[in-house]
Amino acid sequence: MALAIGIILGCCALGAGICMGIGAIGPGIGEGNAVSKACEAIGRQPEAKGDVTSTMIMGCAISETTGIYALVVAILLIFVAPSIFVDLLKSAIK
Amino acid sequence: MGKNGFGFMKVDKTVIKETKYIASFVIIFSVLMQAIFLIIGKWDYTILLGNFWGAAVAVGNFFAMGLYVQKAVSQDEEEAKKTIKTSYSLRMTLLLLFTIIGVVIPIFSWMTVTIPLIFPSIAIFLRPLIDKNKKD
Repeated sequence: MALAIGIILGCCALGAGICMGIGAIGPGIGEGNAVSKACEAIGRQPEAKGDVTSTMIMGCAISETTGIYALVVAILLIFVAPSIFVDLLKSAIK
Repeated sequence: MGKNGFGFMKVDKTVIKETKYIASFVIIFSVLMQAIFLIIGKWDYTILLGNFWGAAVAVGNFFAMGLYVQKAVSQDEEEAKKTIKTSYSLRMTLLLLFTIIGVVIPIFSWMTVTIPLIFPSIAIFLRPLIDKNKKD
């Protein structure tokens, strides 16, 4: 029983780590590239700064969505899922 | 404030406008969520407090992102890239910290702490529909 609980906790922690690790790489790179291109665009057309900033904020928020989903899933895997899985295991053994 | 700080930087009106838009949608979705919890009979004070916490974290994260974007667009390309990458790491760490606080402290319901984090992205996905209606 203790071994099974240990495996559940280990898998949840491993899953959370993988989820956060993979999920957070993309948005960081994407946002950086998008903003550097926006700076280039503002350099070419300074009068469009307001529009570019507005579009950039929305674009960054969209690209960050996957990172936030990964964060939520990781937090649920660490704090919520283990107790549910352990309860399931206990009820299955009974 | 240091080189990477905001000092007495004036907040751009675009950032304020977008944050207001997101905040209004977060409030609307929060009210809907509270109504759903009331209807299914699972409402208690932890649901409300968790919702306040999660909504504040979601809007705060968006506002911080807006400030960093405002700062980045006035820099050169390479510096802007670095600023945004740093801001992303910092905001994610703070988001993680505040969400963990919300999930661990028993006066907040974990469900209503985590659900509002995705409200800003829903609001942005709905934006083309609203803009289309305004034009019509």
